[in-house]
Amino acid sequence: MAPTYNIAMVSDFFYPQPGGVESHIYQLSTKLMDRGHKVIIITHAYEGRTGVRYLTNGLKVYHVPFLVIFRSATFPTVFSFFPIFRNIVLRERIDIVHGHASLSNFCHEAILHARTMGLRTVFTDHSLFGFADAASILTNKLLKFTLSDVDHVICVSHTCKENTVLRASLDPLMVSVIPNAVVAENFKPLSPSENPSYPPPARPLGPHDIITIVVISRLFYNKGTDLLTAAIPRILENHPNTRFIIAGSGPKSIDLEQMIEQNVLQDRVEMLGPIRHEEVRDVMVRGHIYLHPSLTEAFGTVIVEAASCGLYVVCTQVGGIPEVLPSHMTVFAKPEEDDLVAATGRAIASMRANKVRTELFHAQVREMYSWENVAVRTERVYNGICGAISEGEFYGYYEGDNANNSWSATRGRSGVQSFALIDRLKRYYGCGIWAGKLFCLCVIVDYLLFLFLELWFPREVIDVCPDWPRKKRNDLSRE
Amino acid sequence: MLTTSPHLYLRRPSPTTAEFTVTTCPPLTLPLRLYLLAISLLRVAIFTAATTTIYSRFFHDPSRPPPPIPISLLDLLYQGDILLLASHLLQTLHSSPPGQFLASITAPLSNSALAVIASVITYFTLCTQLHTTESLLVLRGLGIQTSTSSSSFSSPIPNTSDGSNRWRGWKWWFWGTTPTKTRFIPTEKIRDVLINEAFRGFEVRYYLIVIVEGEEDVVVVFPKLLPGRKIVEEVWRGVRGCLYEGDPNHQSLGGSWGQTATLGRKDS
Repeated sequence: MAPTYNIAMVSDFFYPQPGGVESHIYQLSTKLMDRGHKVIIITHAYEGRTGVRYLTNGLKVYHVPFLVIFRSATFPTVFSFFPIFRNIVLRERIDIVHGHASLSNFCHEAILHARTMGLRTVFTDHSLFGFADAASILTNKLLKFTLSDVDHVICVSHTCKENTVLRASLDPLMVSVIPNAVVAENFKPLSPSENPSYPPPARPLGPHDIITIVVISRLFYNKGTDLLTAAIPRILENHPNTRFIIAGSGPKSIDLEQMIEQNVLQDRVEMLGPIRHEEVRDVMVRGHIYLHPSLTEAFGTVIVEAASCGLYVVCTQVGGIPEVLPSHMTVFAKPEEDDLVAATGRAIASMRANKVRTELFHAQVREMYSWENVAVRTERVYNGICGAISEGEFYGYYEGDNANNSWSATRGRSGVQSFALIDRLKRYYGCGIWAGKLFCLCVIVDYLLFLFLELWFPREVIDVCPDWPRKKRNDLSRE
Repeated sequence: MLTTSPHLYLRRPSPTTAEFTVTTCPPLTLPLRLYLLAISLLRVAIFTAATTTIYSRFFHDPSRPPPPIPISLLDLLYQGDILLLASHLLQTLHSSPPGQFLASITAPLSNSALAVIASVITYFTLCTQLHTTESLLVLRGLGIQTSTSSSSFSSPIPNTSDGSNRWRGWKWWFWGTTPTKTRFIPTEKIRDVLINEAFRGFEVRYYLIVIVEGEEDVVVVFPKLLPGRKIVEEVWRGVRGCLYEGDPNHQSLGGSWGQTATLGRKDS
C-alpha cells in the first residue's frame, strides 16, 4: 500500500476569489483527500475571510493576514512569512509543500522556506509567460530562484512545460505534465426535460436555422478580444443566420460595444456582461459553436467546458490549446483575423452539413478529463519525490545508465534533491553572475533565520493539530 | 524558578461545580514561600525608600520639629487619622540615619528627574505581580465565571464588591498575584463553549471561547495566558461535562470527564 502524505497547498489565489487556479487547488485538494491524504491550504486573508477555516469537507484553510498589493498577490517580503509558515507546517505535520501559480509570491516563499526546513516541494505552473518585456524578465528571474531548488514541477500542458523549462532552466525530467480537468457533471448539454417548450437543440440543423456562437472570456488583450472585434462583423456578413452571445467583462468590452454600434448589429450580438462561474453552463447550452480567440493560453479549461456542454469549438492554435481536445471536436485557426473568419466559416458549414456529432462530446470529455485522474497522477509525483517509487520508475531511466546519471551532481538518493545547505547553494549559485550570489545570500539568511526560530520558538511548544478524520484508502478501489 | 509555564489546577467542591485555574505560579512549597516573602519584603523596602525620598525632597519642612515619641504614632493609629500618621511616619523615616543617607545620595539629581524616577519605582513596586492566574468557575444551572489576574500594570485592589474577597485579593498580592477582573455569564446566555484557532503574532493558537447570546464578540477564556491545546481541551471537556451533564440536548456534543475523543470530530 502506498503511503499517505500531509500536504500543504500554498498560493495567493484561493476562494472566495473566483478563477481557474482557485478551482484547480480546491478540486485537486478534495480528490487528494478522497484518496486518504491530509491536505491544508495556506493563502492570504481576503475581505471577510480571515483566520483559520474549515470547508465543509474538512479541508482546512489558513488565511494568513498579509498585505495585498496587486491583483490579490501579496507583497514580496522574502523572510517575513517564515515564522508563521514554520508554525503552520509544524502544527500540521506537513511532509510536502505544493505551491501554485508563478505570480503568487506566497508560493515562492513557501517553497524556499520548506526546502530550508527539509520538506519536499512541488510547484504547479498554470500560465505561460513571454521572455521579452520587463515584467516577464523579473518574474522569470524570480521563478528561476524558486525552481533552482524544488523537487518537482507540474505543468498543465506540454507547451507550458516547454515554457517553464526554458524560463527557469530546469531539467525536463523533473517536470511533469498533468492537465486541468473539469467537473463534467456541471457541464451537461441541455436535456429535453429542462426546456420542454423549446424542441431539444435543433439538430439536425436546417439550412435556415439560426446558429448561435458563444464567446465567454475576460475581455483582455491577451484573450484576443481585438481579434474578436475585427472578426465578428465579417463572420455575420458571410453567414446570414448566425448570431453571437458574448459573456465576460474587461477593459476591451468598450471596443466590442463600439463595433456593435458602428455595424448596427444589436439584434445579432448579445452582450451579457460579467457572469458567475455557475452560470457559464447555462450560457453555453444556448449556443452551437464556441469561439475562443485567445492569443496565449496555458491550458484553456473553458474549451473543455464548452465541448462538455456539446458545443463545437473554434479556437486559435496557440499555447497549450492544441493538446486539449481531439481534432473532431475543434476547428483550429491561426491567431489572425482572416484565418479566424475562415475557420468559423468551416465550422458553421460542417454544423449545417450535420457532420459533427456534438451530442457525443459530453461523454467523451467525461472520459478524458476527471479530477480523480489528476489526483492519481499528482499522487504519483508525490510518491516519486518522497522515494516511495524508485527513481527509474519515476523518471523513466535506470541507475546503471551512467550517461543519464551524470548530468546532476547534486542529486541525492532516489533522484530527489538533497537538503544539504552546500548542495542547495550550488544549485542557486548557477542562476547568474550577480543573481546567483544574491540568491545564495538569501538562502543563507533564510537558513540562519531557521536556526534562530528553532531556538526562539522551539518545536516542542508548538501544539500539534489533531487530524480531520481521514478517508480510508482501502475504500477506494478506482484508479 | 519563581514562575512556571501555565499549568492547570482543577477543583471540584461539589458535583455540580468545577473550578479550572490556569496559573504560572508553581506549587507553594516552603522554600518558594520564603522566596516570595523575601521578595515582598524587598518590595516594601524599596517602596518605602522611594516614598521617603519624595517626601524629603518635596514635602519635608525643616522648620517643623520632629515628632516627639513613637507612642503618639500609636495614638494616631487608634484615632484613625491615616494622613497625619503617614506624615509623622515619613518624618521619622526622614530623620533616621537611612533616610538621611538616601537624601544625601539623591541630592545630585534634579527635582524633575527625581520625581519621575521615584514615581516609576513606587508604581512598579506597588502594582507589578510575579504570576498570572486565570480561572474559570462552572456552576451547573447557574452559569460560568471567568477571572483574570494580569501579571503587571493593574491595580492591586481587586474590583470585587465583597469585602472578604478584598482581603483575599491582598493575600494574593502578597504571594505575587491578584485576581482582578471577573465576569459572570448566566447559563441561559451561553450559546456555546468551543475551541477555536487564530493567528496571534507569528503563530497559530488554540483558545477556548464562550459564545454569549446577544453579544457581537465572543468571550475568550484565559485571555492572558492562552494555555496550550492540552489544557484547553481538558477544560473544554470539563466545562461541557459539568455544564451539560445529564442534558440530552448536549449529550452528544459534550463528552464526559476524561473521554478521549478527537477534537473537531463531528460526533453527532
